[in-house]
Amino acid sequence: MDAVLKAKGLKKYYGKGEALVKALDGVDLEIERGRFTAVIGTSGSGKSTLLNMLGGLDMPTEGSIRIGHTELSSLSSEEATVFRRKQIGFIFQNYNLVPVLSVWENIILPISLDGRRPDRKFIIEIVNLLGLGKKLDSLPNNLSGGQQQRVAIARALASKPSIILADEPTGNLDTRTSGDVIGLLKMTGREFHQTIVMITHNPEIARMADRVVQIEDGRIVTQ
Amino acid sequence: MKGVFKPIKTLNDRLFKQNRGRNAVAVLAILMTTLMFTTLFTLAQSMSRNIVEMTFRQTGYDAQASFKSITDEEVSLIAAHPDVEEVGESIVLGIAENKELTGHQTEIRWADESYASHSFAKPETGSMPEKENELAADTTVLDYLGIPHEIGRQVAIEWRPDLLSDEMITSTFTLCGFWEGNESSYASKIWVSRAFADKMTAGQDGPASEEQILGTHMAQVSLFHDSNIEETMDNILADADITDLEYGVNLAYSPEMNASAFAESVPMYLGMILVFVAGYLIIFNIFQISVTTDVQFYGKLKTLGMTGKQLRKLVYAQANRLCLIGIPAGLLLGWGLGVLLVPVLMGMMEGEASISANPVIFIGSAIFAWVTVLISCLRPAALAGRVSPVEALRVSDVPDRSRKKNRKRGNASLAQMAWGNLWRNQKRTVLVICSLSLGLVLLCSFYAKNAAFDMEKYLSELTIADFELSDISSEDYGGGYDPQGTTLTASLVKELESAKGIEGSGHLYSHQLSWQMDDKTAGNLAAFYDADRLKDWETYDPQGADGARISIQEKKATAVLFGADGIPLDAITQDHSILAGAFDAKAFASGEYCLAISPDVSAGKGTVLPVPSVGTTVEMDGRRYEVMAVARSSGSVTGGAMEGGRSEGITIEFVIPSDTFKEQYPENTLRKLFLNVRDSQVNSVQEMLDEYASSVDQSLPVTSRKTMTEQYEAETRSSAVMGSAVSVIIAMVGLLNFANSMITAIVSRKREFAVIQSVGMTKKQLCRMLAYEGSYYAGITLAASFLFGSLAVGIGVRAMTAADPFSTFHFTLLPLGICTPALIILAVLIPYLCFRNLDKHSIVERLRME
Repeated sequence: MDAVLKAKGLKKYYGKGEALVKALDGVDLEIERGRFTAVIGTSGSGKSTLLNMLGGLDMPTEGSIRIGHTELSSLSSEEATVFRRKQIGFIFQNYNLVPVLSVWENIILPISLDGRRPDRKFIIEIVNLLGLGKKLDSLPNNLSGGQQQRVAIARALASKPSIILADEPTGNLDTRTSGDVIGLLKMTGREFHQTIVMITHNPEIARMADRVVQIEDGRIVTQ
Repeated sequence: MKGVFKPIKTLNDRLFKQNRGRNAVAVLAILMTTLMFTTLFTLAQSMSRNIVEMTFRQTGYDAQASFKSITDEEVSLIAAHPDVEEVGESIVLGIAENKELTGHQTEIRWADESYASHSFAKPETGSMPEKENELAADTTVLDYLGIPHEIGRQVAIEWRPDLLSDEMITSTFTLCGFWEGNESSYASKIWVSRAFADKMTAGQDGPASEEQILGTHMAQVSLFHDSNIEETMDNILADADITDLEYGVNLAYSPEMNASAFAESVPMYLGMILVFVAGYLIIFNIFQISVTTDVQFYGKLKTLGMTGKQLRKLVYAQANRLCLIGIPAGLLLGWGLGVLLVPVLMGMMEGEASISANPVIFIGSAIFAWVTVLISCLRPAALAGRVSPVEALRVSDVPDRSRKKNRKRGNASLAQMAWGNLWRNQKRTVLVICSLSLGLVLLCSFYAKNAAFDMEKYLSELTIADFELSDISSEDYGGGYDPQGTTLTASLVKELESAKGIEGSGHLYSHQLSWQMDDKTAGNLAAFYDADRLKDWETYDPQGADGARISIQEKKATAVLFGADGIPLDAITQDHSILAGAFDAKAFASGEYCLAISPDVSAGKGTVLPVPSVGTTVEMDGRRYEVMAVARSSGSVTGGAMEGGRSEGITIEFVIPSDTFKEQYPENTLRKLFLNVRDSQVNSVQEMLDEYASSVDQSLPVTSRKTMTEQYEAETRSSAVMGSAVSVIIAMVGLLNFANSMITAIVSRKREFAVIQSVGMTKKQLCRMLAYEGSYYAGITLAASFLFGSLAVGIGVRAMTAADPFSTFHFTLLPLGICTPALIILAVLIPYLCFRNLDKHSIVERLRME
């Protein structure tokens, strides 16, 4: 299987001397195209740090990350931003929707920021699949948590990224909605042949993934 | 989902609608900044325009150059030159000598439309005369003659076609046009028709002889460009092959004039720098606060793919949106304020002050304000652009990274907590303190500068008595002083001197004669007017310099002999006025002595003065006087017009006792009467004079100390109002900055407050802590203001007033003293009100707030 993402020897240290914190301490990880991977770990295990590195939001102290043919550490912060909006879809625990923009505007924001025209037909398809068809002109604050997260999923899918990174997408949702959201995420991923990496501390949720990676104290324990 | 989605524009629109409160503060700050710029620009523009305008009025025309004598042929040659825009012509007939016009020179002329309009004498009602019996005049002349401002009225003008004879003729005209007279021009013109002029000159071009003015053909040349007028004129004359034709360049176009107009505007330009600083301090702070508050939002946008450049663009777009409201509003209000202030500023200047509505003002102010906003946004925009997505994702309220690692363990007293809170954002605290202190220090400086003005010192230079009355011809520089003038009649003098409350009086007479000087005096003159000084003199007054040369060579000068007693004599014989010798009142009264007046008021003791030395005996009109002392000249005593007729060389002035003068020249009448009046009676004497003016002689020239004071106040209200207005606005900007910072500091900490409340701090304690914070803020600001205010006043203002002869420096920080309680009250009140507003939500609600 070809790997869409390759991370090698990833280290992220904070602080110095006695206060040194090893958030990531030598992580090697390969993500295969089209698969749904869950990264599981307790709070403070370094899983969020890992996801931020993989998405180019933060730079590692040491090690390399390759997405497709691009080495992330070689990008400037401005280039990383542009790369991110083209190649990576994000889904956050707190949805990260822009409150002043409507659902539709939120979904096409990364594409528009890139100066591209959104593929209207494709996005409508996603929206309908996620059951957001009637909510396009609403503002995020008028939606329920589950609906907001579905908007975030639509946004992540809209730009046809190489990879979707989801950081505790169900962290703010109740059990039933969580199940629905993960089901939708998995379904749309399969539908549009997307690669998904999801972080969770919930083994129940993780079990729905194709593959589970466990991280503890900044190291991968089981793959 | 209609149209193309432009993320930055859309975000800008929505954010704008969302942050109404914050926008209002920002718009207010931009508005005030623009307002100050506009006011200053309007003032600067109007000031220099009015100064130039005033010079035009004084020189009598606004064309670039004029010819005092020219022929028809030369006019047509010059008019044909490509550099010449227009040539206006005029023919002088004579001077109106109606009794009612004494003291107001009124020239009888024919002029074409161009000449009339460039001389500010184009009829506003009616038209220029065409028929032989028509005449146009200004309202001043009509008023003197007692003729109503109505077309068709008969006007009789008395004049002498032949200046060498005393034969007066009366020409009667029909009024065909008139215009508003101008007080600041020394002479009026009345226009007659070309037909009448031709009849009088019998078609001759130019006066019959040098002594005559009838037929003098004058012209004014308007050029396309104001620069290098002399060069252009020389070229024009050379191109037209005209030699020996003298022209004069309008003084209003001289570089000195522009320089002085610019100098008048310098304080405005300095003001603009201050406005920029004040504007920067607040606008920067507002944007810095909003970017810091929104840092998570910007971080979120960055995770979603907004680049740093796009984020900066978003910040600028928000700023521009605010400018779009703030700047036009500021322009409008600022111009309105300018319109209100210009007349106040121009109070001293005669005539209506013109208010500049030049588009340059608006464009300039708008650009200045906009640039200020953009510069203020530089750093906040960079901050937004640099935001790190990961940092922004973390929920954190503390933007300051430079913090102390450890804190001393101690009691967490409210005062200590407040002190700590104050320095959580050092930069902002310093900025707000600077902003507020700037306004307060400026206010103090302006106040101290104005308070330093010493009215007594000022008035003593301008007038030496409570009332100074003079003969109407005393200031008639056109016609010359008439030593037998009849304005100050014996009965008037008697009546005034015996009025209630008169404490002292004084008289001044004058006589002018041609004087043959002795060798020593000629030597003094030659030593004083050396080559350098003459050269310098020549640059602005070639005739004067020539006069000095003639005087030195031929030992001839024009002497003006003043007879003085009482107030004027006392004034020029005070110790500081005597430059050489010593004044002995008793000996002087004998009539054997005279005082020589030095024209150089700045000379110190010991320098050679261009007058006879002390001890020299001078002979005038057959009587000999010994020069007792040399005194400084004083405007009130020796100022005024010379007698008409030819004068030889330079003028040397002498003072003798008035009794001696009256013996010598019994024909001469009183030139000036000086009166000092008890303070309580000043008004009644003024009433007497007003009464006399309205019933007997409306032209009686009176200078009173009181009107001088009023005139001065009108004149300085300018800088007082100006300075105060700008510093008050700057102080207000500081206050707004202070309030805004405090309010946002409290509102952004609502969650933190909920946290400390949830662990047991009572409302009362929290309020007290906030009040402490506020008073620390106020305390530091006041300390800084007092410190820098003392320095600014004690050093800056002291130095400024030292250079001003009319000032006496007093150290004062009064405005700061007045502001102190207000600031402290505000510092406690704002946190209290803010907290009350926050307290509407329960602790749990606030804990949940993001």
